[in-house]
Amino acid sequence: MDIILQELPQQLVNGLTLGGIYALIAIGYSMVYGVLSMLNFAHGEVYMIGGFTGWWVLHYFSTQNVPFMHASLVITVTILVVMLCCGMLGILIERVAYRPLRGAPRMNLLLSALGVSIFLQNLVLTLQGAKVKVFHISHLIPESVRTFEIGGVVFSFMRLLVIAISFGMMLILSYVIKQTRAGKAMRATAQDIEAAEFMGIDVDRIVMLVFFVGSALGGAAGILVSLLFTQVDYYVGFQAGLKGFTAAVLGGIGNIKGAMLGGILLGLTEALAVSVFPSAYKDVVAFTILIIVLIFRPWGLVGEKLPEKV
Amino acid sequence: MKTTNVKKWLPTALSFALILLLPQVMPDSYWLRIYSMCGIYVMLALGLNVVAGFAGLLDLSYVAFFGIGGYLFALFSSSHLDIHLPFILALPLSAVVSMMFGFLLGSTSIRLKGDYLAIVTLSFAQIFKLLLLNLDRPVNITGGVNGIYSLDVIDIFGFRIMSPQAYSYMIWTTALVILFASYRLKDSRLGRGWQSIREDELAAEATGIDTTWMKLLAFAIGALIAGGTGALFASFQDSVFPNNFDFQQLVLVYCMVIIGGMGNVTGVLIGAVLLTILPEVLREYGSYRMMCYGAILVCIMALRPQGLLSDIPLGRKEKRPDRDTTGKLKASTDLYYKDDNSEDQTARYKKESQVVLELSGITRSFGGLLAVDNLDIRLHEKEILSIIGPNGAGKTTLFNLISGIYPPSSGVIRLKEKDITGFRPYKVVKAGIARTFQNLRLFSNMSVLDNARAGFFVRTKTGPFSIFFSLPEYRREEMETRKQAENILSRFGARLSGYRLDQEVRSLSYANRRRVEIARAMATGAKILLLDEPSAGMNPQETEEITHFIRELRDRHGYTILLIEHKLNLVRTISDRVIALDYGKKIAEGTFEEVASDSQVIEAYLGTSR
Repeated sequence: MDIILQELPQQLVNGLTLGGIYALIAIGYSMVYGVLSMLNFAHGEVYMIGGFTGWWVLHYFSTQNVPFMHASLVITVTILVVMLCCGMLGILIERVAYRPLRGAPRMNLLLSALGVSIFLQNLVLTLQGAKVKVFHISHLIPESVRTFEIGGVVFSFMRLLVIAISFGMMLILSYVIKQTRAGKAMRATAQDIEAAEFMGIDVDRIVMLVFFVGSALGGAAGILVSLLFTQVDYYVGFQAGLKGFTAAVLGGIGNIKGAMLGGILLGLTEALAVSVFPSAYKDVVAFTILIIVLIFRPWGLVGEKLPEKV
Repeated sequence: MKTTNVKKWLPTALSFALILLLPQVMPDSYWLRIYSMCGIYVMLALGLNVVAGFAGLLDLSYVAFFGIGGYLFALFSSSHLDIHLPFILALPLSAVVSMMFGFLLGSTSIRLKGDYLAIVTLSFAQIFKLLLLNLDRPVNITGGVNGIYSLDVIDIFGFRIMSPQAYSYMIWTTALVILFASYRLKDSRLGRGWQSIREDELAAEATGIDTTWMKLLAFAIGALIAGGTGALFASFQDSVFPNNFDFQQLVLVYCMVIIGGMGNVTGVLIGAVLLTILPEVLREYGSYRMMCYGAILVCIMALRPQGLLSDIPLGRKEKRPDRDTTGKLKASTDLYYKDDNSEDQTARYKKESQVVLELSGITRSFGGLLAVDNLDIRLHEKEILSIIGPNGAGKTTLFNLISGIYPPSSGVIRLKEKDITGFRPYKVVKAGIARTFQNLRLFSNMSVLDNARAGFFVRTKTGPFSIFFSLPEYRREEMETRKQAENILSRFGARLSGYRLDQEVRSLSYANRRRVEIARAMATGAKILLLDEPSAGMNPQETEEITHFIRELRDRHGYTILLIEHKLNLVRTISDRVIALDYGKKIAEGTFEEVASDSQVIEAYLGTSR
């Protein structure tokens, strides 16, 4: 018990880092589910491609792993480029695989998404190989600030950065959804896609926007994790997708606030689970929680139960 | 007679001849191996076809049952735990235990719909794989990454199966048995039940199908087949590894079922064979192969969502029921419903008739809204009672409460003294009340006849065992069902009989679809019918006809009818009594004239004069 308590602040930071990442991925799932009522199974691959894109951007901005700009600038540019690319990828996926199926049975949409996921994963495998791509961040973040100690707890700079960026993005998104014209249109589309169309909202554009934003955030999560663990490979999307998805369902799928909360909760739970169970079983804990939530509160922790219309 | 016998047995004889012959003509041991793997995948795909194809359940834990079967078999017949059960015991045991796992898993998650079911089952599959990988410590059960290897040689009463040839015979014979079982299941009472659930779960439940049980059954049968296949696979491969049972494997089997066309047995067979051989041909292209799978899946979903092979009539000439033998379109045989004047006056409702359905103090609130507020309704034997009221008065909610779609917040519903409050819809049908829906909830992709036959589900009872062996009792029941269904449909004149029997419901006119829905309700054998706006969308002529028809139902066939209707003409013509609702409350009750002249009713419809 003492050991657990001693580790608590450390695990809290770990939990918040993971939680922020999961939340970013979960937002993509939830936004898409909100407007199209479908599970975008390919979302995990977007996350993975975010990591790879980031690697290449860093590669182009540095010679022999030394970036030729100020580190903070490089990181900013990398994240922005990744978000742009992944956003575009999201739009492309929607256009090719989901739009022709709008209104089709859900099973078809889900299987189409599965197809996209398999395609992207193996595309990256073909282009980049099965070997892990390693990020050389030693010159990006100086040794002196990489870790620091406050009151006996060791903080990693990268972790704090991840927490700051992910929570910052969530704040911005909340503002956009709540206050802007596009946000209003998004909420209207999520409520009732047909009614929104009749009110003069260009639904196709809103769906594109939703895919852009969701995928951009997913890509950002991908590059942040890759920077944190300094590596990425073609198979990371599957697991990350499942986790993001778990987070989205925990919070109540279709609900963006729920996705954020679900992500943070899942991250914290996993971090704490590691200090109790053997680490090999941390995913078992996560999935068990998901199953329990789905069975007893399928509408999620935050979501609302709606009666079926007869 | 003789020719039909030949026709009947020819496919069976041919397929047995084929599996005897094929292993002999394989060019080398490599292709013989692929041939056996083909058989394994055919079994796997057919099992998944029961769950995902027949019943429409997106079960992503399917591959876990394959794994459970494989691992159990490996544990039961190897030196790993030093258990050496004979094959004849180990195989069924692995399959049955897998089925039990399927049952267990199904019973926790089966009430979840579509996507949610997919996620829960996917989580189970993930947990399963994590356990496989990690249960080598502290006690070595699964062998971790290394799996379990060198299993016992199969020994069936001294007859040892060792050669690749012998394996291929064993695998394909089993595959053939499962194939025939699939054909039988699909075209049976259970098959129709599953298809109804796939088409419209709520309507299936309201037609008297115990959807929970049926879905569990599909889950369990799928797990049984997967488990048995897993055992055969383990023996064939002489080992099991976690990677044999991962997500990629699942995707592959799903692709087979989808390409074949969900639910289409022949299609799935071809899909499985195709997708086992294709990768071998494409072997040199490596990772492009999986990429192709992904792209193909997307394309098929966009272009042919019903599956590549689903509409192609395989081996059977497609009947064009609307054409005669020369290929000319038949003339429409629609006849107006003939009015029979021989009315049996004893069937009429009398004031002193027995009360069959009694609602007392029924209340239902949604959040703060009282949709139905403390209602008392009595329905007498052979009465036609109409419920009228403006939109939002709570009429349809009332029907949903009686038919068990949701339970009342308070109050009691009695059917002939029996308390049926809170019964699930299928139990209400079983007790004797069937309904139609305001917005038509038919099984659109099923034929007129099958829609009616689905109604008989609740009164029939053969299980998978009788169906599999085509026992006489099952054949008798099938024949009887068909005859009675045709009989019920023929009551609508030529509208729903003759060539219409085989037409899919979605191709019928709106009025005819309404008729099919009434026929389906009648087929359940319930003597109380709840008709929710039976004349909606009908023209005056058709309305008159349906009015007569409803009256006939009571006068000649002894049904008791509770009716929601907006067309007051219809209500006036046939109702013995009328109840008017407004804001969930009863505001008037009596004969049509009494209710129509009631000041509160006039106010509800027209508002007050100031």
